[in-house]
Amino acid sequence: MNKKRLLNISSRHYLKFLTATLILLLPVFYVVVDKLYSIDIKDTLIMRRDEFLKFNAPTFTEDNVSFWNEFNRDVKIIEGHKVKQDSIFHTHFYDELSNENEPYLALYSPIAIEGKPYTYFTRIDLVEATDLVLTLSVLFCLAIVMLISGLFFITRRLSRRVWLPFYDILNKIEHFELDKTALPEFAKSNIVEFTRLSRAVEKLMNKNTRIYHSQKEFIENAAHELQTPVAILKTKTDILLQDPDITEEQAKTIKILDDTVNRMERLNKNLLLLSKIDNDTFFTIKEVVVNDIITKNLEFFTEQARNKDLTINTDLNQILIIKSNPDLTEIFLNNLFMNAIRHNIPQGVINIAISKCKIIFSNTGDEKINSDKLFKRFSKLNPPRHGTGLGLSIVKKIADLNNWTIDYNFSNQEHSFIVSMNS
Amino acid sequence: MKILLIEDETELAKDIQQYITDNGGICELAPALAPASDKIYNYEYDCILLDLMLPDGDGFELLDQLREMGKTEGVIIISAKNALETRIEGFNLGADDYLIKPFHLSELMVRIQALIRRKKFNGNNLVTFNEIEIDILAKTVNINKREVALTRKEFDLLIYLIGNKGKVLSKSAIAEHLSGDMADMLDNHDFVYAHVKNLKNKLKKAQTKDYIKTVYGLGYKWNPYE
Repeated sequence: MNKKRLLNISSRHYLKFLTATLILLLPVFYVVVDKLYSIDIKDTLIMRRDEFLKFNAPTFTEDNVSFWNEFNRDVKIIEGHKVKQDSIFHTHFYDELSNENEPYLALYSPIAIEGKPYTYFTRIDLVEATDLVLTLSVLFCLAIVMLISGLFFITRRLSRRVWLPFYDILNKIEHFELDKTALPEFAKSNIVEFTRLSRAVEKLMNKNTRIYHSQKEFIENAAHELQTPVAILKTKTDILLQDPDITEEQAKTIKILDDTVNRMERLNKNLLLLSKIDNDTFFTIKEVVVNDIITKNLEFFTEQARNKDLTINTDLNQILIIKSNPDLTEIFLNNLFMNAIRHNIPQGVINIAISKCKIIFSNTGDEKINSDKLFKRFSKLNPPRHGTGLGLSIVKKIADLNNWTIDYNFSNQEHSFIVSMNS
Repeated sequence: MKILLIEDETELAKDIQQYITDNGGICELAPALAPASDKIYNYEYDCILLDLMLPDGDGFELLDQLREMGKTEGVIIISAKNALETRIEGFNLGADDYLIKPFHLSELMVRIQALIRRKKFNGNNLVTFNEIEIDILAKTVNINKREVALTRKEFDLLIYLIGNKGKVLSKSAIAEHLSGDMADMLDNHDFVYAHVKNLKNKLKKAQTKDYIKTVYGLGYKWNPYE
């Protein structure tokens, strides 16, 4: 369906109406004016005859006929009765001045001069009449066009002013982002419908924002409140470990408990981090050398990569300096590094390459990850033992916060995350 | 080693108390700010463990009181708050260390020991265990009067094990201790095995007793043979 703008719809209708009116009215007008004019001409012809009969005929003699005819072009006295009664014809006469046949309306009327039969003839050139009718029609057209276009522009301007609050509301809805922008203020309108609309939108936004905030708060509170029980679980496990009478079976259970508590702790910390990024609008920004962070933590990750027997190659010849929050940047890079280890194959390879505006983490892997699900919370393809399922959504959050772009692709059995940090 | 624990969470307090007592320390408990101030006013402690969110106020208030009283006890803040600003505020108010909950008891133990060593033996920071002598500042280890070269991780591991002698330390606790700030990024604890094995070999070469015991499936233990 082709989209139309609200204002254009009314304009289009005006235009259609204008055209239709012109097409319909113009011939009607022409015919009517033409008819009126020809009636008028007939009357003129008859009036001339009557004037002749009244003023000239009583004193008119046969001798006057040739004299009369000599000086009158349009009124002639013709010998004999050409017609039995008054007759009016449309006919053509040759015009010597314009050198062509021109349309005339002519009256033949039987009269008597000194008792002898004569015919009174008079004619009116219709060329002038047609010109007049045409001129009138054109004037009429102009009037209609001006009238309708005037109406058209006034309505357009008026509508534009009338719909202004509507466009304002529309604009504000378009630019509203639940997690970022503050609630917009709608301008007051004296039109009932728009006031209703802005109130309804305002209510909807308010409600959604409230729900969003309470949900965010809930996650944060839940994570906070969970910290103490997790802390107790952790120390209890430490105490339980010390029991000298533990059987092998019990030891296995305690080991699982210990691992689970650690995973829970990490999950909780990550949730807290996510809500911190969501809630804190202000992070201190410093100059950060990305290379330094990679170098600093390389030993740790090399150690983590050892049990999969991974090879880590780094290309850190170029220096990438950015302005961002150092802690978040480190968390960001660490998560990508960890991700490259976690989703790797045994004896795999990790390549980290830094350029002046980009850092690329690529690693060998089995299969492409569905990029839609990639950055979603808890969307793990094959749940790893220690992953929290939050690593990449933290990565995405931090990237969004800093306006970095992350591209993911998979080719030649290799996952690549390309992060553009300096645009 | 006399320690004051200011913590309102009873279960947690009990475990910390027990762990410290098992390690030969004395641990007194104050579940709120008011009893804590009383105790600090009346007694001397080697170290104070301070929770920040207490039923009758903010733990930071106690740091102010300590300063006003002119006390120089070492303070380790133990809190679930891990915002950098909170940590910085704590250090600015005179805290010596900051441990984020949840933590392993063994980690708390070595932090307490390190703090007491720093406070008591200025400049002469030595840990001795039978034939093993460790200089914390110089980062050197002498066994039977002969220096043994250890990597940084092995050195940390040795102090950690001796500091928690007789206790079973889970692989995860050791891994977290050795990883420091990076503990949150741990994917597996397998690397602990390599460090323990290397340390064991070096100790064996230096003809110590076989102190490091593997507790099957769970972790490791420094067996003091007492």
